[in-house]
Amino acid sequence: MLSYCSVEYLLVFLPVVLFGYLILPKTARRYFLLLSSYAFFWYLSGPLVLWHVAACLCVWLCGLAIDRVLAARDEALLSAERSQKKAIRAKYAGKVRRWVFLAGVVCFGILLSLKYTPFFIDNLNALLRTLHTGRQLKVPSILVPVGISFYTLMAMSYVFDVGREQRAPEKNFFRLTLWLAFFPTLMEGPFMRYDTAEQIWEVPRIKGENFQKGLWRILYGVLKKMIVADRVNSAVELLYTDFASYDGGMMFLAAVLFTLQEYMEFSGTIDIVIGSAQCFGFVLPENFNQPFFAKTISEFWTRWHITLGAWLRDYVFYPLSMSAPLKKLTKKCRAKFGNHYGPLVTSSIALFAVWLFNGLWHGAGWSFIFFGMYHFALIVAGSFVTPVVISFCEKHHINRRSFPYRLFQMIRTALLVAVGEMFFRALSLKTGLIMFRQMFTRATLQSFTDGKFLKLGMDRQDYIIVAVFVVCVFVISLLKERGCRVLDALYKKPMFIRCLITAVLVALILLFGAYGTGYVPVDPIYANF
Amino acid sequence: MDRLYEILEEMQPEYDYHKEKALIDDHLLDSLTVLALISELEDEFDITVPAVEIIPANFNSADAMWALITRLMEE
Repeated sequence: MLSYCSVEYLLVFLPVVLFGYLILPKTARRYFLLLSSYAFFWYLSGPLVLWHVAACLCVWLCGLAIDRVLAARDEALLSAERSQKKAIRAKYAGKVRRWVFLAGVVCFGILLSLKYTPFFIDNLNALLRTLHTGRQLKVPSILVPVGISFYTLMAMSYVFDVGREQRAPEKNFFRLTLWLAFFPTLMEGPFMRYDTAEQIWEVPRIKGENFQKGLWRILYGVLKKMIVADRVNSAVELLYTDFASYDGGMMFLAAVLFTLQEYMEFSGTIDIVIGSAQCFGFVLPENFNQPFFAKTISEFWTRWHITLGAWLRDYVFYPLSMSAPLKKLTKKCRAKFGNHYGPLVTSSIALFAVWLFNGLWHGAGWSFIFFGMYHFALIVAGSFVTPVVISFCEKHHINRRSFPYRLFQMIRTALLVAVGEMFFRALSLKTGLIMFRQMFTRATLQSFTDGKFLKLGMDRQDYIIVAVFVVCVFVISLLKERGCRVLDALYKKPMFIRCLITAVLVALILLFGAYGTGYVPVDPIYANF
Repeated sequence: MDRLYEILEEMQPEYDYHKEKALIDDHLLDSLTVLALISELEDEFDITVPAVEIIPANFNSADAMWALITRLMEE
């Protein structure tokens, strides 16, 4: 699969589009970007691109229909008595809801039928086998357009926002389509809200500063992917396929290595995506904010895949928590269990829906559902024990704001995340459970001493290169965590230094990037979602 | 406004709500506390806080919360 880290994208597609964008007049730039985005999409998915056009048409038409309903409501309100206004609002709110529902049925319907049908039929067949009916349904092989899980959620965020009157419906079909098909974000996000559509449609001129910072960001992303994610790929492949041959220590290594690989692959790709957009002058939302500095699992999810978390918070968690039945329940529970445990009961219901959705969004499989439920359980358990931990710390004079305590929280959170990632990467839920059990039942470090450790497709030099680069990424993350704007600081350096930085980044990729014989680059993990 | 300060101090007494300006952005109030707070504010001020109003800008400080409450009371 073509990835954002491929030679075709970085050295052919992106420079050609940048050049075309640079020389064209403003209006032509918009349609050139749209055409380029669909050319990119067509290259990746062929005629399946029509599903994307269908989703664009659906949300655009529903937006316009909502606009008409709202205009009719405003007209009715103008001539209504004060006592009638509430009823009028309720009547038209119902109509708006019907259009939002229709858009949801179409967009989620396409997503479910293309991506989840084989999973549902597989499970139905398993049920039929259990019931000894003797009947089995044929599992269809369905081709899915790239990035469908991303653009479906973005499209629905537009309809939800229009329905809530948070933004005006879009009259221009091409502006909406460019936002939904914008090529840098097509495969792996980040999820953009509709306010970015205006920014993209403005098609600013390319500026030297944006181009330079964008280029550095792209190179940093390529470094993350090629030095770490691709280099550890053979070890990860081996550990997750031949897990039965290894002891508990190696299972722990499998969890840590995949977590590292996923972070470097996904955040590296997002760096390339945001950097590509920045070269043109577009500012995309950040998707990572030093996730391994998180002190709790719930904080981790405000730092990792931020835009997905924000989507689930705004369109699932709060609407469910603020629904009339759950509000009533919150009130009752607060009276009975107090201010902490009362809302915990009701928000657990909303959180369950969020994490079920999150798990299923990542993939049609039980291991993904388990991944969602694992994080749901950790977040609820974390909230449940918080008052106990606070009183324990007060009793034993432990300063919860001290560095050692925060460090302990960060390491604990990172380890819990790594275990979750192991289930996420495992070939199935069953193998994930076996690998997890192996961590404890075969808890030795023998593989690290008998040489197995160095027979995973990575030699001593590979481990050293990965370790050194991880330390570099950690230092940059620490600087960012302390508020340092690294790219801005570098851009203030003299021209000679800036050119030297660019040359060093390119040289690092050429010298230490994992490519050529003996290396199989990791497939873009999130592009399959 | 005084009643708002009382409610906030009852919920989470460890912060100075006269000074804090980033209660959500700095992760001082989590989503559970915000839900409990909304439930209390709805009862106390006879308002309904719609889900779309639950954004950091409306809950980052006591002043921002008070602005939200007065706006919803007027509607």
